[in-house]
Amino acid sequence: MTFQNSAALIWFLPLAGVIVALYLLKMKRRDLQVPATFLWPDRVEEIRANTLFQKLRPSWLLFLQLLALLIAVGALAKPQTTQKGLAGSVTVFVVDTSASMSATDVKPSRLGEAVRQTQEAIQSAKPTDRIAIIEAGATPRVISALSSDPAKQMAALSSIQPTDAEGQIGEALRLASALVGGIDGARIVLLSDGDFEPIANFSRGKAAFVYRCIGNLDDNLSVGALGVAQTASGRQLYCGIKNNSLNPNGGTLNLYADGKLLDSIRSPKIPPTGQWGRTIAAPPGARLFEAKLDAPDFLKSDNYAVCIADPSASLHVLLVTKGDLFLERALALDPRVTLDKATEVPATESAASGVGSYDIVVFDGVPETAVKARGVLTFGKAGSASPVTEKGTVSKPRFVSSEPVPLLSSVDLASIYIDHQTSIVAKANGETVAQTSAGPVVVTAKDTGKRQIFVAFEPLESDFPLQVGFPIFVANALDYLAGGVSSTTLSVKAGQPFSLPITSEAKLTTPSGEVVTLNPTGANLVVREARSVGKYTIESEGRKRTIYATLRSERASNIRPEKDLNLGGGQVKASTSPVRFADFWRPLAVLAILVLGAEWWMFARKS
Amino acid sequence: MSSLLLEPREFRLLDGLRINPRKSFGGRVRGERLTKKKGISIEFADYREYSEGDDLRHLDWNVLARLDTPVMRTYRDEEDLAVHLLLDGSASMSFGEPSKFEAAQRLACALGYVALTGGDGVVPRLVGRREPNQQTLRGRANYPRLVGWVTQTRDMESAKDGLSASLRAFAASSVRLGLVVVISDGMDPDLPMALRILAGRGHEVLFLQVLSDIELDPELEGDLRLVDSETGGAVEITANSFALKEYRRRLHEHNRAISDALLRIGGRYALVQPQQPLDHVLKNVLKKECWVR
Repeated sequence: MTFQNSAALIWFLPLAGVIVALYLLKMKRRDLQVPATFLWPDRVEEIRANTLFQKLRPSWLLFLQLLALLIAVGALAKPQTTQKGLAGSVTVFVVDTSASMSATDVKPSRLGEAVRQTQEAIQSAKPTDRIAIIEAGATPRVISALSSDPAKQMAALSSIQPTDAEGQIGEALRLASALVGGIDGARIVLLSDGDFEPIANFSRGKAAFVYRCIGNLDDNLSVGALGVAQTASGRQLYCGIKNNSLNPNGGTLNLYADGKLLDSIRSPKIPPTGQWGRTIAAPPGARLFEAKLDAPDFLKSDNYAVCIADPSASLHVLLVTKGDLFLERALALDPRVTLDKATEVPATESAASGVGSYDIVVFDGVPETAVKARGVLTFGKAGSASPVTEKGTVSKPRFVSSEPVPLLSSVDLASIYIDHQTSIVAKANGETVAQTSAGPVVVTAKDTGKRQIFVAFEPLESDFPLQVGFPIFVANALDYLAGGVSSTTLSVKAGQPFSLPITSEAKLTTPSGEVVTLNPTGANLVVREARSVGKYTIESEGRKRTIYATLRSERASNIRPEKDLNLGGGQVKASTSPVRFADFWRPLAVLAILVLGAEWWMFARKS
Repeated sequence: MSSLLLEPREFRLLDGLRINPRKSFGGRVRGERLTKKKGISIEFADYREYSEGDDLRHLDWNVLARLDTPVMRTYRDEEDLAVHLLLDGSASMSFGEPSKFEAAQRLACALGYVALTGGDGVVPRLVGRREPNQQTLRGRANYPRLVGWVTQTRDMESAKDGLSASLRAFAASSVRLGLVVVISDGMDPDLPMALRILAGRGHEVLFLQVLSDIELDPELEGDLRLVDSETGGAVEITANSFALKEYRRRLHEHNRAISDALLRIGGRYALVQPQQPLDHVLKNVLKKECWVR
């Protein structure tokens, strides 16, 4: 038993001293002469006192008063008992549903164990306990708000499904803290294997934090590498296996090209945390390569990888900008894009010829320079490598016309308000596709192996980023710069929402065969359902797109249970048997009143 | 009330009554009480053989004629009875309305009158205080002297000797054996033992306990310091129902201890209250319990 306000206990001594001192006062009794006193009981009941002093005599009233005082002071000290159990009076369960929680070192799985423990906690909770449940997946969500309804909580728990995505545990914990961080005695319980990045910005507020670590073993192999490279000896497929555990392990890697088995390679025992790789000749013309690892490990979702040998299927984009979230977001929405940001072009990319690290470079308000990338998108300021020449600046230009080119498909430039536009003249290789009253506003250029788009204003100098057509224009620009075709095969990270430039209803078929109807928001169709590894198809407007969701995350593949968490700048240790504190000052207060009642009753009888 | 303490009506009730002891005691002077000694009363005692010099008036002629043997008739002697009238004069007797001592005085006079008219020797003595011994009073003519002794002015507050101590001292003295009538409130925890000692000396003890309402049903309330009227000792009490109930229980036990002691020693015990009239006491106590007849 502990006390929340132990300082109140020191009041017992002075108050008890006052009570005892009152008993040291002697009652001034009226003298009365009687024939004899030997027949009278020598017992006296001191119930009043009005003079000094007498020897302290045992008295039930004194005992009851001291007892009542002791109980009252004890109640003021707010005693609490500790009881084992995950649930407190107000609890938020944060259930990690990330990919590593699908590991089967705990039967049936880590997620299953987390759900079971949460169910146990709900069943053993008191009727007055309030519980909320947060599913900490790729997109954290509250699946059961704070309530005292076990049936509702159990139903919410049963809706939790495993995912092959990386979990946003930090977001989930911040959500939990927002729910109960201001409640005294609340508790945030995280059921996880601890396999996530350290969480820096987190404050639990007044709530206690309990971390229940789930998982025992870390045996896991993953497809560490899969890609196609053009070498001197022809197109080569390279693949690799990574051992993420502390035990040597090996497996069989089955390689497929366009769905046909290409090779089956048995790896040797890979040392702890080591890698093993192999390169084989890629069949000519093959576009889709898959790797399936057959290994005795506990996590299967990272035993599958896809490589699409299509230049437009995967775009490595460098955004050179002083800061434009709208543009950054529009680029990131495209599932093909792997985006990097910089304020200037790295020296390694600054050359007109050669092979660089990026497929596309986007200049946003930064003068365009010569780069190795095969595509360049420039907003606002032209440079020497631009397909245009700057003439000056024009305010509030008016839209005049646009060409019916794929780049401007579904983009309404007429409704855009432009504050300042760079007045430009297209060079010989430049083709004007849109014009305003200030002259060309969108110019494209196409040379051998290189494509350019110049937009004569910066997005933040207009309301274009707020228009529906902005992400469509960015997607169209990426298509144009990638080679002029829109890829129908994509590879995305499982659980990561992505968008496609689709404006009508679409049907999504999941790896399990389930068909889901999706409706677009504006000009984009946002897909959040690709939570599991595998092949998804989206059909819309008679066009079929194939999306391969994979788990390509070293962090997720490392399924070693973490007993210590880095949370909010401090370390949190896993709790094996968390305890809850139960206040019982209320029954003590009632008991004190009862004792006082008994004391009054005794006083009344004796007087 | 007359100077003789009793009303004429009460004298008439007492006339003709006699003290009725269970035991017989030897007397000093001739009286009206048969004793174990052979004497000259009309009460036949036994036969004995004739010896020379015997008074021929007591020769049984019928036996001589029938058996031809001279046989003498003997008779029981008649002497007076010593009635020790012990009146409790301790401070505790001053309580009650009328006081227990006043009631005890009237009872002493009444019993003394009965004894005097019965030819017994009355030896009045005050217990609970030191006073010179009184002469034995005999005959109705000494009743005024008895009354004079009973009613003489006494300072009740000055009585410091305990009842039991006085009775022990009386038992230890060389008084003539007889009937000891103790008229007292019995407010002494050692009284039963003192009564046994008294009986052990050969006296027959009659104990007439006089208790007022103050003892029998005290009406006390509040927080009190009770001061003993005799010893001056104090007891602090809270006069609640528990204390009063406990007091009544102790009083009952004390009185029963006195009556039990008297029962064992062949004595007699009676409880009277000061406000009870003499005729009531005579009828319902003294006659009923055969103290007088």
